[in-house]
Amino acid sequence: MSIMEYNGGSVIAMAGKDCVAIASDLRLGNQMLSISSNFQRVFPVTDRIYIGLPGLATDVTTLRERFRLRVNMYTIKEEREIEPEAFTHLVSSTLYEHRFGPYFISPVVAGISKTPTGGIKPFIAATDLIGCINFAKDFVVSGTASSKLFGVAEGLWEPDLGPEDLFETISQTLLNAVDRDAFSGWGAVVHVITKDQVITRKLKARMD
Amino acid sequence: METSFALIGKGYVIVAADTTSARSIVKMKNDEDKIKTVSPHLLMTYSGEPGDTVQFAEYIERNLRLYQIRNIYPLRPAAASSWIRRSLAESLRSRHPYSVNLLLGGYDTSLSEPKLYWIDYLGTVTEVPFAAHGYGSYFVLSLMDRYHDPEAPLEEGLETLKKCIQEVSKRLIVSPERYKVKIVDKDGVRDIDL
Amino acid sequence: MNSFVDQFSTHSPTAQLKRAQKLIAAEEDDYSDAAWGSQAGFGGMIKGIPAFKVPAVADPTAFLRLHTDDHADPNCRIKIQHGTTTLAFRFKGGVIVAVDSRATAGSYVASGTVKKVIEINPYLLGTMAGGAADCQFWETYLGMHCRLHELRNRERISVSAASKYLSNLVYSYKGMGLSMGTMICGWDKTGPAVFYVDSDGTRLKGDLFSVGSGSTFAYGVLDQGYRWDLTDEEAQELGRRSIFAAGHRDAMSGNTCNLYHVKEEGWDFIGNYDISKMYYEGPGDVPGAPGGGYGYAIRTEGRSAANPPPS
Repeated sequence: MSIMEYNGGSVIAMAGKDCVAIASDLRLGNQMLSISSNFQRVFPVTDRIYIGLPGLATDVTTLRERFRLRVNMYTIKEEREIEPEAFTHLVSSTLYEHRFGPYFISPVVAGISKTPTGGIKPFIAATDLIGCINFAKDFVVSGTASSKLFGVAEGLWEPDLGPEDLFETISQTLLNAVDRDAFSGWGAVVHVITKDQVITRKLKARMD
Repeated sequence: METSFALIGKGYVIVAADTTSARSIVKMKNDEDKIKTVSPHLLMTYSGEPGDTVQFAEYIERNLRLYQIRNIYPLRPAAASSWIRRSLAESLRSRHPYSVNLLLGGYDTSLSEPKLYWIDYLGTVTEVPFAAHGYGSYFVLSLMDRYHDPEAPLEEGLETLKKCIQEVSKRLIVSPERYKVKIVDKDGVRDIDL
Repeated sequence: MNSFVDQFSTHSPTAQLKRAQKLIAAEEDDYSDAAWGSQAGFGGMIKGIPAFKVPAVADPTAFLRLHTDDHADPNCRIKIQHGTTTLAFRFKGGVIVAVDSRATAGSYVASGTVKKVIEINPYLLGTMAGGAADCQFWETYLGMHCRLHELRNRERISVSAASKYLSNLVYSYKGMGLSMGTMICGWDKTGPAVFYVDSDGTRLKGDLFSVGSGSTFAYGVLDQGYRWDLTDEEAQELGRRSIFAAGHRDAMSGNTCNLYHVKEEGWDFIGNYDISKMYYEGPGDVPGAPGGGYGYAIRTEGRSAANPPPS
């Protein structure tokens, strides 16, 4: 039995044209027993950044609280909102602080960052449970269905998708990957982040 | 084996826990009350490692009482669940973690709404309409998926609970014989004789 | 003709022929009868007790235990399918047999369309839990012997006898890593019958059984709805609803439900129902179904436990 698989759950993030999407399932289980079909593991950090926290459920809650504290402290000190790059490093260093007794979470960050010229750039990244950052241009996956998500995403993703096409791509990827994973599923939620709004939709997923 | 259930209904939460206290293969006691009234509108069942259970439950009980003395108002169920969760999560990474599973049933007097939280020893919390801990959960969760109704009047809620108890005693190898049942609603906490 | 003398004489032509055959057989030892594809793979066994190649080690039982996965060590070479929900119950209108269709290998959902009911013959059904290959093989083999019984005795084998046959067979392999938990269901002279047989050698006669990782969830719904005088429609609905409950709660069960009804004239395949579809919409237009989705969230949609004071 692996601690990372104890509660189940998966998260995926994809980059599009001037938008990003992050999606996750909603299952909370105790190994084979499913407990709740409404366990959120993707949380807003700022208006333009979301974080997904697949892994041990107790650490999902703990880390969400911790990141909220640290982001608030950052905002107060810097008198500005945190950028996705800086937030990802904050995530990484928070996790590495617990190098020898880690939180069993491998986070996924999705956001829109500002370029020095005043433009915007989609940003996605994932880290492992001790904070090794993986920046990606296309998509990142994490959780018990990660191997399945990789396969489907590799086949469906294409560059420069608009918000609606990206929503369709990430939804199909998540739903199909999760159906091949016993520990993920039981509902799904998708957030599409564009420069001026976040579209959140619940998906009708398989419930078995 | 230790078993506890809880379910919400129209304006109430029913909380039930078996009353056996076992050590090795021996039943040491069969009228142990494993449901604590932790604040005027909040009930908590506890099960798990002997010793840890009572110690942790009393720690929670005293601290919630302290909060109420200091602030006049008690913590609402959502806030209490969050604080209890944190206590468990911090304990988990200490040298002697508490190994206690909880069901927290309360009535939120501000929202006029019953609340139920499923909490395990790791500090996992989730709000649910019905919940169970122990081996009994493998039998009664599907049963409540089928029969539970969030708008059921109290009599109907108790009928569902009786179904759960009957199912566990029918199928679980070493099933508890007696249960303590408590209810929390807008008027506070009370015991129920099934 | 095999006379008594022929059998034991050492010089007779028959004996010489036997010796020659033995010599040839020794040379061709690498190929069993079954390998030549004769008699549908059952070639080696039609004559009597089945013979399998056993690992050439001092203690084959211990060797097999080491390399066959079980609860103690899931990382073995020989993978066995564990997650399943199957159920069967007897009532006045016959026997209801319902199963899910998911096969898992660890957390991977290897298939969602497994047939876990084995149609032994038109009067007998077997369910599959545990090792898929073990169940398939031995229940097909059981079917063969049920037919031989019919030919020899000019009457159908009783469910009791058939299940005993299977039980004795698997018991003879006890400790060698066979893994099966099955219900043999049928209708014979005594009426509807259900027997539970597993690879430990347990054989139980009963009214209601459920086997597999999701069995507890199925029992939760099944026990509460079960009565002997259920109508056919009610009974089918109960079987379907119980498999749904297990498919919903148990991570290792799900995908679809296969439903069978054994009656006096033999078994009937009632239907295949998608569990997720049952969650949202119900099983469709079938007799006995209440209409609407089985899912808790669907069933209780818009219902709230809050009781705000009347303003």
